Amino acid sequence: MAQIQELYDAILHGNAKQAHAVTQAAIEAGAEPLPLISESMMPAMEAVGRLFEEEEYFVPELLLAGRAMKSAMELLRPLMTASGQKLSTRVVIGTVKGDLHDIGKNIVASMLEGSGFEVIDLGADVSPENFVAAVEERKPQVVCMSALLTVTMPAMKTTIEALKNAGLRTQVKVLIGGAPVTSQYAKEIGADGYSENASGAVSAVKNLLAVA
Amino acid sequence: MSAERVRIRLEPLSVEIAAARGALLISSLADHGFEFPCGGTGTCGGCGVRVLSGSLPVTDADREVFGADELAQGWRLACQARAETALVLECGQWRMDVLADSAGLPLAGMQVGAGRRGLGIAIDLGTTTIAAQTIDLGSGQVLGVETALNPQAGFGADVMSRIRAALHGADLTGVIRAALGQMVARLAQGRADEMVAVILVGNTVMHHLFSGCSVEPLSHAPFASPYLDAESFSPAALGWALPASCTVRFVQCLGGFVGSDILAGIVATGMTRGEDLVALVDLGTNGEIAIGNRNGVVCASTAAGPAFEAGTIRMGMRAATGAVSHVALDNGALKATVIGDAEPRGICGSGLVDAVAAGLSSGAIRASGRIAGGSKKLPVAEPVVLYQSDVRELQLAKGAIAAGFRLLLRRLRASAGDLKSIYLAGAFGNYVQIESAVRIGLMEAPQALIHAAGNTALRGAKLLLWAGDDPALPPIEHISLAAEPGFEDEFANCMAFPEAAGEPSMFASGLASGAHAG
Repeated sequence: MAQIQELYDAILHGNAKQAHAVTQAAIEAGAEPLPLISESMMPAMEAVGRLFEEEEYFVPELLLAGRAMKSAMELLRPLMTASGQKLSTRVVIGTVKGDLHDIGKNIVASMLEGSGFEVIDLGADVSPENFVAAVEERKPQVVCMSALLTVTMPAMKTTIEALKNAGLRTQVKVLIGGAPVTSQYAKEIGADGYSENASGAVSAVKNLLAVA
Repeated sequence: MSAERVRIRLEPLSVEIAAARGALLISSLADHGFEFPCGGTGTCGGCGVRVLSGSLPVTDADREVFGADELAQGWRLACQARAETALVLECGQWRMDVLADSAGLPLAGMQVGAGRRGLGIAIDLGTTTIAAQTIDLGSGQVLGVETALNPQAGFGADVMSRIRAALHGADLTGVIRAALGQMVARLAQGRADEMVAVILVGNTVMHHLFSGCSVEPLSHAPFASPYLDAESFSPAALGWALPASCTVRFVQCLGGFVGSDILAGIVATGMTRGEDLVALVDLGTNGEIAIGNRNGVVCASTAAGPAFEAGTIRMGMRAATGAVSHVALDNGALKATVIGDAEPRGICGSGLVDAVAAGLSSGAIRASGRIAGGSKKLPVAEPVVLYQSDVRELQLAKGAIAAGFRLLLRRLRASAGDLKSIYLAGAFGNYVQIESAVRIGLMEAPQALIHAAGNTALRGAKLLLWAGDDPALPPIEHISLAAEPGFEDEFANCMAFPEAAGEPSMFASGLASGAHAG
């Protein structure tokens, strides 16, 4: 099917219009959402992650690829809901309370989504209460938190404590990231993992779930 | 395996090293380009360091070389010292030129009012450096200058680490009041009774820490502080040796991360006196931008990160001896200028911008920021090279500034073509080659409009001091860029480099179409 390659190319080159059009054509031709995701989208986002690791791609390319991927996902999601198809793993992600930086978090969210996870993005300046509520309601397997400022990092700890107090901590794996965050800090505050960048976040989530 | 290590930070280059506890500093410092002119015999005084944090006991050799004043200020001979605790040291031989301002008053085009009697002191309290001047309020003449590193450096290099230290109970207020008290005493020496007024300007964190206001509101979103007003003090309350009749005032802040240094800069550029649209850009870790005219000004801060000070650059260093400060393209090859005509040791912010501009022009760096050819390195001046990640750091920094600039212009419903002039404030703005800044897309305006303006904060502070009262200013609106729609798109658009000088970046159309589809 020609669209498999075309969608892969559109995402890799960050062309959202093209990705949207190709996906539309594929749906009209009777393509199923899950194969499109696993055969076009996931390999494309994996290639994007690899190019980032190799320093060929940078933040603008990641954002563009993420947008292209999303423009295809928006067409596929309603079809999946209608036919009762589900992605295997659900991830809740947000930038912690007091911090408005969400570009890095957005890139991680789209890399995760492009890797076949269902991603619930809570946005920026997310309070511990809102993280707890999202875990209660959406029952994710993984919670990802981001902080870009040394002064907002402690909110990660507060959020982990809030999850503990709500009796939810053991139900989820917690992954943290952001420029000032270190693996040492992740250990200190009782997170399950840490990643230095977006493509690392994907492997970290996979490792945590042992689905690699 | 080895003895216990202690951490030592060397300012103003912010070099972090570890040394064995109890070992002589000479061995670890020599490895980092610090020189011992007499070979460490304790006689020449050329290896003086000032203790900003931690402690070094006074040795006999220290007493030979330094006066009581200097010893009290923390000066010691590095060659005689042993590191028993973690230390932050100011290295005398790396001393940076702190940008003051030689302009007397009145400036050209200013109305000359009735002269006041007496003397005043204007202080630009920066995160890294402090510049202060004595002014004759009658003639407007500059009578004396004092510059120093901000001694709060012992608590971290940037405003966020200062906030963090203050929240953990460290006394940053006492430290800065004492240091400024000494500077003021030197400036006022012999004529203290003539001192009428002291005026201070600085960023919002400096304002809060000097004034003793809590910095807690500045530690989290929405970064709105209830303490933005001007603060007045009596010299006695600060412990300063000035007459009781002398007023000390820290000028009001404009917003959470836009301080009175920018307000003073707006005054110094004369932006609000005419119809012409004028911009002021301070290129620092926290970039600040103000654009306006007599009808009003919009301003914002944008997190550029430390790349302009070469902070996150692998071979980066401050603008000191051995730093590549300028790079030009000579017959297709990069030709570097090194500060102090020394062997190149690293690259400073202005050299970085030049090197990338030259790389773009020669084709060694592509518009996407990728170093061509697969080596991921750009040799600048043996042994100094730029790594791929260095170019990326610069893309983040210049993207943040250019995006902030675009959003403020959009808020004014104006374009770069409507601007009459753009003033670059601060040390980096003073040394960066404007042609290179335009080539990399840091400044998106015709080169002829852009001027290095020096220390506009200090100049504005002098104008405020001289005027006596705050001048009537139009409304100054502070805009939170993070909350502005389209910031992420603009930031990403502005990260790529212009294809050729003056052309829009290759991603300009890409992300716009992505946004429509999404």
